[in-house]
This record gives sequence, structure tokens and C-alpha cells, in this order.
Amino acid sequence: MSVKFGKIKAAFLSCAIAAGATAPAHAEMDYETVTDLLHLVMSSDRTVYTRMIVNRLAVQEGVIKASEHYMDDKALVLPAQMFRYGAEMVAEETDEFSYSLLSLWPINKQNAPTTPMEKEGLEYIAANPGENFYGEEELGGEMYFTAVYPDIAVAEACWVCHNEHKDTPRTDFEAGDVMGGVVIRIPMDS
Amino acid sequence: MSTRFLWIIWFVGTILVASAALARLYVGGDRTAFMPGETTGVHHQIEMSCETCHTSAPFASQKKIRKDINKTCNECHKDELKASDDSHSIKKFKNPRMAAYWEKIDARFCTSCHLEHQPEVTLAGLVTLPGDFCVACHSEGEQDVRVNRESHAGLGYETCATAGCHNYHDNRALYEDYLVKHANQPWLKDGAAHPGQAMARARTRPNPAEVELYLASVVAPEVGRDDGIEGHWAGSAHASADVGCASCHAPKSETFEEIQANWVESPDQSVCASCHRAQNKTFELGRHGMRSHPEIAKPRSAKKMLKRMGMKDPPEALLAAVETYLVDPAPAPLMSTSEARVALHPDAHGQDLTCNTCHTPHQVDITYAAVESCLSCHSDDHSTSFKDSPHFGLYEAELAGDLPPGAGVTCATCHMPKTESRGVITTSHNQNETLRPNEKMIRPTCLECHSLEFSIDALADPGLVANNFSGQPTRHIESIDWAVRRVDQPNQGANQ
Repeated sequence: MSVKFGKIKAAFLSCAIAAGATAPAHAEMDYETVTDLLHLVMSSDRTVYTRMIVNRLAVQEGVIKASEHYMDDKALVLPAQMFRYGAEMVAEETDEFSYSLLSLWPINKQNAPTTPMEKEGLEYIAANPGENFYGEEELGGEMYFTAVYPDIAVAEACWVCHNEHKDTPRTDFEAGDVMGGVVIRIPMDS
Repeated sequence: MSTRFLWIIWFVGTILVASAALARLYVGGDRTAFMPGETTGVHHQIEMSCETCHTSAPFASQKKIRKDINKTCNECHKDELKASDDSHSIKKFKNPRMAAYWEKIDARFCTSCHLEHQPEVTLAGLVTLPGDFCVACHSEGEQDVRVNRESHAGLGYETCATAGCHNYHDNRALYEDYLVKHANQPWLKDGAAHPGQAMARARTRPNPAEVELYLASVVAPEVGRDDGIEGHWAGSAHASADVGCASCHAPKSETFEEIQANWVESPDQSVCASCHRAQNKTFELGRHGMRSHPEIAKPRSAKKMLKRMGMKDPPEALLAAVETYLVDPAPAPLMSTSEARVALHPDAHGQDLTCNTCHTPHQVDITYAAVESCLSCHSDDHSTSFKDSPHFGLYEAELAGDLPPGAGVTCATCHMPKTESRGVITTSHNQNETLRPNEKMIRPTCLECHSLEFSIDALADPGLVANNFSGQPTRHIESIDWAVRRVDQPNQGANQ
């Protein structure tokens, strides 16, 4: 997907979201395209926050810390928390789609895979760099389209923190590694 | 008269009487008979205001009803949950990836753990699950705490939330990194004082010259004049803030004639609230003022209920009759000490709870409201032990000028803590913020003077709580020791 085409699609999606987050996907847009576009917005925002806020201020310039206890430490919210809080805010507003940032090597255990498809998807994107994973699964009596996208180490802040954290199960992350995955779900019955 | 005719009369009569009785209950009568079971804690204050919690339309689905009840819980508890940095917030469980957990305990709904009207199975904190409920999710897979924490290997799940270690919602003073950060500190700080209390008590009061000036400026009709009252007022913060007689007794009146015409002998709570908004908001969320909360359903009005029964334009005579004979008895606008279900002194009964119940209206003496007001009603062990406690000793020393402002500890220091923001001090009147589970009190109050370790141990010692902390804790909670040991050996397990 070219960058230009991606931008056009993202703009279309922004309009769709602005028009009402609960509106059904366009009749001609399949689930895969919708999750691709949603992921494009998510990963762009996530990369901007990680590179331009956290990595610049906390790692390169050292003017402020980033901490999981950001309130107590008067610090920046970690990129993973930024992503999760956004996902939780979306969950409060709509059931039409949901997303989360997961990993086979999570620092926070609640971000480990909980469904067989999450595990399969995370293993697939780790073993096949550059590829996404798509599937369908039944959860709570409802069918979901599930897409898993690789989450890549884009800045020093990512691998330094994950390699050094006291609770990390893996300490050899490097630039460009798949550290986890973004899982996006759309209910198929609604 | 034939038997058949008598049967018809009996049948029609029964239907009529039953309809009249049901209509009476529906329109405005006492609905106590419909109560399925006692409510818990202070909810009894609003239990006959059914529509406060039960907002769903008739025959709504179970899921809709549970969602609606979530909303009504939030009307009162939202601020508290937000401030608690809720460890198990509903939004964390809405993602369908948590579906497997919904089968165990459906944490998307408040009522999964907190069912009202079930007194026979209700534990502390309105929990209606067995006390070892953590086992449902934290005993297998990635979430198995016995695997993640070597120190937890032999612990029973009934101890998670009962031993001063964890709370389901509020773990601000109990999370692992916080325990480590506050390890190895002396049990009592040097020069300990509560900063909010210090600022409030250090506030200057009018000097004699100013008192004279204020007394000379009194404008009130003859019926409101009283030398004693005016003397108290002139020495209060109200006088120095230019809050005069008419400000409360005849609001918005400017000339003497207007003041005289609009004079109210006993202004109600709304007059106080017009200035003390933050205090009033927390008062309405607290145990003394919750009946004033704007989301508590008001008594049913006759017109509205008749309209619901299909009478769009009921005749005035019917309305008047309904309003005369079927006045909705609940909820009363104010809580009364007579209805309290906590231990009170016998002579404390019969008082409505408003601002003036605790605050003497003209003196505005915060020292009275901080201790004597509380002790004039509450007669449980913790309250009656207060004046024998070291905390009260410090307070007496502060009042005598032997210790600096804020060094003393009053009832209000812990149960109604003061916070400062941009130079403005606010006293929380919502006691729930620090009451139960009592670890909620650690950060806003205990840690100003004590170490985290001492605070956890003291609050986990029921005997020490009962005697109002006269002595040292008799038990030690090992959470800090375990957390420090794990950080020293960080290869064990993983973080929550």
C-alpha cells in the first residue's frame, strides 16, 4: 500500500468515524480493509507519540521521565499505556470494534494472549515479519473478524525499557523487532 | 340472591379492592411491602426511592437492566472510582478478548459482585461473592499469582483482600512499586503535620479593631438582632470575607427595606451551598448528605403517576385527593440521626443532618466541627476512644500553642481530609473517600505523618482501630518485605 493511498484511506476513515462511530462499515468495504485502515491510524499515532514525545524528551533530551506510574512520578504516560487508554476510551463509546496491544512477551501479564486466535496471530506475525494475520473467532457467543498486526520496535525507548524492566520475560529486543501485535476485532453479526 | 350472583359480586369486589390497593401503591403510597430484602450500609437512606437505582423500562432484558444499574451506581460512585485509579475498571473488561473471564466473574457489571437486597450473603463493602472471589481469575494461566509470586505460593485466596494486601478497586497505596519506594522508613516523621490542616488552621482571624468595624456595619431587621450572635459573627471568617447578615438571611436583598421584607430566620442548606460549592458536592456524596444528591429520585408526584396510568389530564379534584391521601413517604429530604444504623448516643437522636448540625452557624468554628460535632453523636468504640488517643493529645497540644498548626489529629483530619489546590483549601465532606476499605486512608492522611509499613500494619489491626490507635500494631503485614525481596531478586515472576 503506497503512503499516498494510505493517507487517502485514512482520511476517508476519519470522516466515517466523525460521522458516527457506530455507523456500519461501508457496504463495499470488507472487514480486512476496515481493520487495515483502523490500524493505519493507530500505528501512526502510536509511532508519533513514541518517537516525538517519549523518545525525544525521555531518552534523547532527558528532560522528563516516562513511567508506568506517571501520576505518582509526574512523568509521561508510557506508549503502551497511551495506546491502552485510547482503546479503553473507545470501548466505553462503542461495541462496533475493539482493539488491544498484546505480546507473547508482555511486561504486564494482562497483555498476554487470552484467546487461541490471539496466540496464533501473535506467533504468526513474529515468525513472518512484515505480514499481518486475519481470522474469525467466536467469543462470548458472538463471531468476530480478528486482525493481528505486528508492533515493531521503532525507537530506542521501546527496546531499552522492555529489555531492562524487572518484569520483562525477554531481554534481547533490537530495533525493528516484532515486540508484539495490535489486535483489532469487529463483530460480524451486528 | 343466587349463589352465582354472590360469586360475581365477590369476584368483582375482589378485583376492585386489589386494583385500588395496587393503584395506591403505584401512585404514591408506601412501597415498603415491595422491598425484596434489606439494603446494605447507608443505602437504607435511599432504599424507598426505588427509581434512583431501578431506571429500566418494564420487561427490559437482563443485560439492559445490568447496564442501567451500572449507570446509577456511577451517578454517586464515579468520582471515587476515578480517583482510585480503579484496578478492575469496567472498561478493562469490555473488550471481547475478556469473554473467557465473563464466564467466571463478569466484571463489566457492578452487580456481578455487588447485589443489593441480599443481606444474608453480603460481606463488607457490599460484596455478594464468596470472600475468596479472586480465585476465579487469578488461579490459572498467565494470571496465576501463585506462579507469578513465589511469596504467594502457599496463600489462600480468602486472604487476598482481607489481610491489608489488596483491594479490588483501590490499590493506590498497595501496588508493588509503591511498596518498594516507601520501604524502610521511620514509623513517625519528625515534625509531622498535615499540610491541608496546617493551612486551614493557620488562617488569620479578624483582630479586635476589625471586629469593632464589622459590628458597626451590621444591617439586619430588629427580629434578627442579637449581641451574642453578632459578636460571634464579627470574629469569624465570614465577617472578614464580607459575608454579612443579609448574605444568608436575605440573599440578593440590598436596601434595608428589602432585607427586612425577605428576612429568613433559619436559612437552609442551599444558602451555604451557594458559596461552599465544593464542600456541598462532597457532602451530597457522603453518608450525611446523600439524600440531597441531585440524582436521588424525588418522591412521586401525583400528576406524573396518574399520567403514567393513562390519565393525561386528570381532574383537579382527583389530583387534590391523591395529593392529600397518597403522599409519597420517601425519601425524606434530609437524613435524620433517628434513622441511623450506626451506634449513636441516645440523646443524639432526632436531628436532621444539614450544614448547621455540625457547624455552629455564626461561630463557624472549625475546631468544633472537627471533633466535638462528631463525638456529640457517634458512640462506637473508635469514636469514644478518641479523647484517650495520642492523636487527640497532639490536637490539644496544638490548640494550646505548643505544637504548630496541622500537628494535631482530629476526626476530620482522617475522615474528612483537606486538600489544597491553587491556594484554595477544600474539606471533603464525603467520608467514603477514606473509610472502607481503610487502606484508602493511607495516602490522603496516614502518610503525611507515618510510614507506609506502620500505616498498613495499624489499619490491619482491628483492636488498634477500635481503641483509636492507642499503642502499636500487634500484627505485621509482610507485603513490603515481599515486594522488596522480589525487587532484589527480579528474576522471579512478573508484574501485575
